[in-house]
Amino acid sequence: MLEYLKDYPADDYFDEAVAENNTPRTAAKPLLKQFENTPFNSLQEMQSSAEVAIANMGISFTVYSDKGNIDRLWPFDVFPRTLCSQEWKQISDGLKQRLKALNRFIEDVYNERQIFQAGIMPEAIITSSKDFRPECCGMKLKHNSWASICGSDLVRDVTGKIYVLEDNLRVPSGVSYMLENRAVMKQVMPEVFNDMNILPVDQYPMQLLSMLRSLCPYKTDNPEVVVLTPGIFNSAYYEHAYLAHEMGAELVEGSDLVVLEDNCVYMRNIEGLKRVDVIYRRIDDAFLDPEVFREDSTLGVPGLMRAWKAGKVAIANAPGCGVADDKVVYAYVPDMIRFYLDEEPLIENVPTYLCSREEERNYVLEHLQELVVKPANESGGYGLLIGPKASAEEIETFRQLIQENPRNYIAQPTLNISTVPTVCDQSLEPRHVDLRPFILLGEKSYVTAGGLTRVALKKGSLVVNSSQGGGSKDTWIVVTEEEN
Amino acid sequence: MLSKVAERVYWLARYIERVENTARLAKVHSQLMLDLPKSVKLSWYGLVQITSNEDYFALHYDSRSEQNCMKMLLSDRNNPASLISSLWWARENIRTTRDILPREAWIHINELYVMVKNHQEDFATRTKRNELLSKIIRSCQAYTGMLEGTMSHNETYRFLKLGMLIERADMTTRLIDEGGLFVAQEVFENDDESYFDAILWANLLRSINAYFMYRQQYQTEISGQEVLQFLTQDEEFARSISYCLNEMCWFMRKLPNPEPMQNALKSLQQKISAEQKLIIGSNELHNHLDWIQKELSQINRLLYSTWFNPKQVA
Repeated sequence: MLEYLKDYPADDYFDEAVAENNTPRTAAKPLLKQFENTPFNSLQEMQSSAEVAIANMGISFTVYSDKGNIDRLWPFDVFPRTLCSQEWKQISDGLKQRLKALNRFIEDVYNERQIFQAGIMPEAIITSSKDFRPECCGMKLKHNSWASICGSDLVRDVTGKIYVLEDNLRVPSGVSYMLENRAVMKQVMPEVFNDMNILPVDQYPMQLLSMLRSLCPYKTDNPEVVVLTPGIFNSAYYEHAYLAHEMGAELVEGSDLVVLEDNCVYMRNIEGLKRVDVIYRRIDDAFLDPEVFREDSTLGVPGLMRAWKAGKVAIANAPGCGVADDKVVYAYVPDMIRFYLDEEPLIENVPTYLCSREEERNYVLEHLQELVVKPANESGGYGLLIGPKASAEEIETFRQLIQENPRNYIAQPTLNISTVPTVCDQSLEPRHVDLRPFILLGEKSYVTAGGLTRVALKKGSLVVNSSQGGGSKDTWIVVTEEEN
Repeated sequence: MLSKVAERVYWLARYIERVENTARLAKVHSQLMLDLPKSVKLSWYGLVQITSNEDYFALHYDSRSEQNCMKMLLSDRNNPASLISSLWWARENIRTTRDILPREAWIHINELYVMVKNHQEDFATRTKRNELLSKIIRSCQAYTGMLEGTMSHNETYRFLKLGMLIERADMTTRLIDEGGLFVAQEVFENDDESYFDAILWANLLRSINAYFMYRQQYQTEISGQEVLQFLTQDEEFARSISYCLNEMCWFMRKLPNPEPMQNALKSLQQKISAEQKLIIGSNELHNHLDWIQKELSQINRLLYSTWFNPKQVA
């Protein structure tokens, strides 16, 4: 075992690299072996060279503030998060199963509504959702693919069990950081990659492109795929440009596209107007089409919904798919898997209390100090209550919020999510992590090898969002010797 | 190529050229102040007139002082035609087209912007102003040369060239106009007239680095009439209007559907070459230059209907 990991506190939480009695976990064994002759200050040097590499590559994200938007460098830690390839196989099967069921559900919601008729889920949950789009009713999509790109957040509890914490189905972001993290790591510790068997991640852009092409609603030899961005002021613009570049697709803004009377979508090119077949959109539903949704939107394309409904263009993710990206709907995903696929869920949900149910609400109101309360419809870690860390005042505020609008809140037990050794000033210290793999569903399903590991860099913090002091780590799916 | 991207690089080049030319204009004006005798009433307001900023000036400034004219032309961030605004717009355009330009392009323009922004007060005093203006001109030239030498001469490059050339032609008309304005307002003793005229035209030529090229072409004394001919009709000098129009024709030949635009450019160029008898300082010359500027705006509109805002399905 590594000299500087001898006093590592591995017993408080489940650590991804170090097991009880400070022995290495299977997936981390080859890595820790590699580090045997690497003193701690060499790790710190790697950390500094990674930071230099990130600055040189210009990897940044945008933070909104009163003083204008600032491009900040992407915080990164060089100690990777490792997972066994066998475990990963089970996880990815579970994620594919999940996304398949979610897509069957979305199509059902906008068509037959069998799941409600079967009494598995109350219909009111959907009709009261602000992401339900009546305009989508009656639409059937190729390959059943509504949420074609999904980023699911996984966490591991103290017992080592993996749960799905949420599914991001609207416009999930972060995949470019997963790719850049790997590029940085290969620069910083090339020898390690040479001697270990780590699954590669860089096929993602090509997988994404081939999935997007498979969505084209009609037969054409070479579908024209574009990435639709709100523009340079969006916090994820860097990623939009990155993915467009990697796929060789045009990066367009709403004003570059036009829908003509034939209901087809065209982009303005110097040669003239050119037909667009598939749009990978990175703008929210509400801004997509000012003819149908927000009239004041200048980001979207007038007539886009018309074109989509006429089957003249594919949009990924499809309009209206946000109806399944709701923490109340989330609670029913295991039931969906059983109902649509007639299978047992391969990955579990975090136990969830729905405040809309009286019995569960009463439990939540009595146990606010122990629970995490989340609004059903927010993302980015905003608007939540972490009971054990909240003041009496905050708890009272949430008590009121829940009573006023029970449909809008869910609660979950506070999870002591797992940790990974992280390079700190004096030594490696445990920091909490989650994991966001990206799942694609078109003609075929695909799951990234690993995903984006987000890490709460502040000691003791459980919040991993980049807007709130989080950073990231490279994620290694390791093929161990035992498997070979 | 996306129309918007083409439009952005076209304007990027126009703005950079405008930054350089505005700096040259301000510099030559300051030089003239040093060379011409005190009895010559030099109007700083001429700078406002030749950049067509009279309305803006009337709204935002009171006296037509050197300070005010220079501020409006160089450092007034609210004036969309000032040097600092042009530079800001150039930087915005390059920010969103970084991926198709050499990496150094962004670094160069960003550095230039930061440098000018941090030294804005230098525009207020004459010595520091000239130094800063010279730095800006040099930096723009280095940038243009860097693109020329490191970029593929592809569609992006062609739109950069078109933007640079049209802006350059436009500025040359304004420069000649500046000279004409001076001549028209001069009240010299008869003997002095030709002497100060020579100073005036030499300075104008220097302001666009045309002095030596002119000298090689015409070995006689500098005359306004010949300068006019050189700057409008010469087919080899890089800043003459005829040359710029010819080059535009050449650079667009590989772009889609260039013929209508090329015809418009050729016809304009022929009309300019055919013009013989305009007198320096006359109203006719001023009107002629105005007409060229309007024709150039017409060319700009054609660029829009052909490439930047297409209506036809290809």
